[in-house]
Amino acid sequence: MTPETLTVDSRDFADHGRLVTAVGEIDHDTAGRLRAVIDEALADGRVHVVLDVAGVTFCDSGGLNLFVDAHRRTAARNGWFRLAAVSGSVRAVVDATNLDRYLAIYSDVETALDGD
Amino acid sequence: MAAEIQWLDLIQTLLDRSHRWRPEDLAPVLSEAAGRLGIATTVYLIDYEQRQLWPLPEPGRPASEALPVDASSAGQAFSLVESVHVRTDAGDQWWSPMVNGTDRVGVIQFVVPTGTDPDATLQRRFEAVAGLVGHLITTTTPRGDRLHQERRTRPMTIGAEMLWQMLQPWTVTTNDFVVSAVLEPSYDVGGDGYDYAVDGRRPQFVILDAAGHQLRAGLACAVALAAVRATRRAGGDLRRQARAVDAALQEQFTDARFATAILAELDLDTGVLRYLNAGHPPPLLLRGGQLVRSLDGGRRLPLGIDDNEITAYGEERLLPGDRLLLHTDGVTEARDTLGEQFGTRRLVDLAEQHHVAGLPVPETLRRLSHAVTRHQHGPPADDATLMLVQWSESAAERTIPPTSRRPDDDAEPR
Repeated sequence: MTPETLTVDSRDFADHGRLVTAVGEIDHDTAGRLRAVIDEALADGRVHVVLDVAGVTFCDSGGLNLFVDAHRRTAARNGWFRLAAVSGSVRAVVDATNLDRYLAIYSDVETALDGD
Repeated sequence: MAAEIQWLDLIQTLLDRSHRWRPEDLAPVLSEAAGRLGIATTVYLIDYEQRQLWPLPEPGRPASEALPVDASSAGQAFSLVESVHVRTDAGDQWWSPMVNGTDRVGVIQFVVPTGTDPDATLQRRFEAVAGLVGHLITTTTPRGDRLHQERRTRPMTIGAEMLWQMLQPWTVTTNDFVVSAVLEPSYDVGGDGYDYAVDGRRPQFVILDAAGHQLRAGLACAVALAAVRATRRAGGDLRRQARAVDAALQEQFTDARFATAILAELDLDTGVLRYLNAGHPPPLLLRGGQLVRSLDGGRRLPLGIDDNEITAYGEERLLPGDRLLLHTDGVTEARDTLGEQFGTRRLVDLAEQHHVAGLPVPETLRRLSHAVTRHQHGPPADDATLMLVQWSESAAERTIPPTSRRPDDDAEPR
């Protein structure tokens, strides 16, 4: 796995929100960096986290693990975690594991950023 | 009559000596006892990847070579669970399948003097001795490391060592039910596992895939398997078993570790299958020569994620002879050099071919697993586990040595 397989950017929105954009592959090897960015958001009091996965081409159980973890940790802080622009391979793996019933899933980033 | 007493003596010798023997004594004791009947024996054990049969070394004898399962008489006896008779200049050879009940552990080569009548009585005796030795291997293996070592072609990772010690035998059969499983990569398995219990008329079976890699995934898998067993043995149904895994994983792992799984129970009187699907690839129902459908009911969240809903069981009424093929995603997602996945279609097609060819259930799985490995480009990215369950008397019979199949029609003349 080369380090270039996943790039992560983030920017703040509203009072408590941070939008994290992931591009590339999320697996057990790359999930650590994404986790670090989410940790940072929580440390900064950004408890509304939107993860934009439009540019994610592959996701395995390492990624799902991270989503579930982010969901739990934001909820524990009275916040929320939303997966945005979910389609293709992310959609397939989330559906296959029935996690569509657990995670907050949005088809586009704008809707995910709106509302509480 | 004299011959019968000699064979009884052989069996008594084996049992007497087995009480205090060390793992390395098993093969020489058999050789010594069989030698009194003028028969030479060599015991071969199957390796974890089920590719080669490895002879147990005996002091004072030149080492025999390992034999490939796919290209030898020994391999034929192993894979088809049948005795194979070969005539050579040095004498007649018999290769008898060695099962531990129904789990294939290896073969025994019996060499008899030229001119010995190769009749059914002799075959029955060889298979009986091989069966006894198969059981003795199972009880002797935990005494030391030697028999474990003979089955390994390379060292195991810590995760694989832990997992194999938790797993049930590959294959178990009752009168009308067979359950068999296979796991790869044998020496480096991480989070995949399986379990079953064939008590009574409602056998239960589980296939499980814990998220993560190597030892961390293996630990989650071990906790999940133990939670399933403890709950089942306390009388808990499938739903309670799933809840117990949820609780145990949440308690032991703080990083949202989860496992996908199928938990199922088949009623052997009615054919009704009940199952839960915790985020796992659905079971495939195979009938006759084809795929009937994938079983898409009973869906709940993966094990370890707080599922507060009460999941309704998936239900399906099977017909006699039906097979259920369960797998982890490492099977269908194995990629070749072009990135093409192994896929469900290929899996089902191969399963059907092997079924039509009349292969025993564990042999079908062995070949399926090797097909996945062959397809895979480079080292496996994930564990690949397959489980095949069949509701059938004839399939059950195919997993035991021929002369044990109809014990009432004993080969002995009356």
